Amino acid sequence: MKAFKYALAVAGFGLAVAPAVAHHSFAAEYDSTKPLKLTGAITRVEWSNPHVYFYIDVKDAETGRVANWAFEMGAPAVLQKRGWNRSTMQIGDVVTVEGTRAKDGGTHGNARNVVLANNGQKLGAGSSEGDAKQQ
Amino acid sequence: MRNNSNVWGGIFASLLVFSVAGLGQNQLPPVPAPLSGAPGAAPAGAPARGGGRAAAPKKPSTPTPRWPDGHPMLGPTPGKLGYWDSGFGGMTGKRAPNLPTNIETSEVPFMPWSKALYQERQKTQQRSDPHARCLAPGGPRQFHTPYGLMLYEIPEQKRIFVISGGGPRSWRIIYMDGRPHPSGNDLNPSYFGHSTGKWDGDTLVVDTVGFNEKFWFARAGFPHTDALHIIEHISRPDYNTLKYEATIDDPKAYTAPWSGGYTIPWVEGEDFEEYFCQDNNRDAEHLIGPQ
Repeated sequence: MKAFKYALAVAGFGLAVAPAVAHHSFAAEYDSTKPLKLTGAITRVEWSNPHVYFYIDVKDAETGRVANWAFEMGAPAVLQKRGWNRSTMQIGDVVTVEGTRAKDGGTHGNARNVVLANNGQKLGAGSSEGDAKQQ
Repeated sequence: MRNNSNVWGGIFASLLVFSVAGLGQNQLPPVPAPLSGAPGAAPAGAPARGGGRAAAPKKPSTPTPRWPDGHPMLGPTPGKLGYWDSGFGGMTGKRAPNLPTNIETSEVPFMPWSKALYQERQKTQQRSDPHARCLAPGGPRQFHTPYGLMLYEIPEQKRIFVISGGGPRSWRIIYMDGRPHPSGNDLNPSYFGHSTGKWDGDTLVVDTVGFNEKFWFARAGFPHTDALHIIEHISRPDYNTLKYEATIDDPKAYTAPWSGGYTIPWVEGEDFEEYFCQDNNRDAEHLIGPQ
């Protein structure tokens, strides 16, 4: 798994905003000591409650193997206040995600920020761990 | 000067990110901001969130809206939209938006078994919270469930509806017609129980019994039994503020009744959106707690 080259967070992620509220314990599901920074193409978007999910194919730079990662974001109503709409991400779009890995060790994480490769826009993902304002 | 400000702002932002990321057993910080930029997010006269000289001055709230007979209106005024930005606050601790009269968790009159269960829930990072499985939020939990709260009084029907925007999008009735609680086998244990209400001056006093044991009445995970009896005091001290306080009376779980509450800010001009927790809830399988 180390081949995925998780980016260690050593600085802030821009202007942080207070965390969105969630319907579950963040600490029980995600490991705040395991930050993620992954880039990949969107394979699926679930624009639904209680969380929006998106899935990206991430290629291991060393082995060439591709893994499909699932990322949780805030509820649609929360994301809309951060500049998202249901069409912001399209299948095939390349995005870079900063977030936190799930404790179960699977290819699952909580997104904090998403950078859209096609226009460079950085959007907060409504994480209950806190995210960044639109940039 | 401007660059220096940006540098310090970035450092502050970083510290905020890491301080939030470092939260342990409770996933929420004690003083989160409301979901929206609701006017009057803090009660009039309360310290601004975050303190500091950079905090913008709060506009004074307009007075409490009232029905023609003079009692407070707890929902939107005629022709207006709005909802209460629930999701924040807790039953213990005094930090805003909690009430300054709240006790600390260490002062809760637990019985040995309820204290042990409460501590177990903290130790396991609240992984077994029924609310994360989209079960209905009974008691005070309804007033700190995220994604909005509405209170609609229908005088002709002598009842008040409490509608949750979040969770399983459930609703509860407070009967205002003077009826007693059912008793014996007529009182079916339920998530919201049986609620009767009356106005005591400007405060709505709600008495509820008949709870089941399938939910946590507060996000923190305080245990309860089927003997739970809750008395809520709900008021609107100004247009933008709902004051909520609940007395927990469960002689099977606590050695004495205890109370706690918080304020909830108003969001003017918006309705909350459809939200069903059970729609695509993928969290339960990943809630594994400490490793």
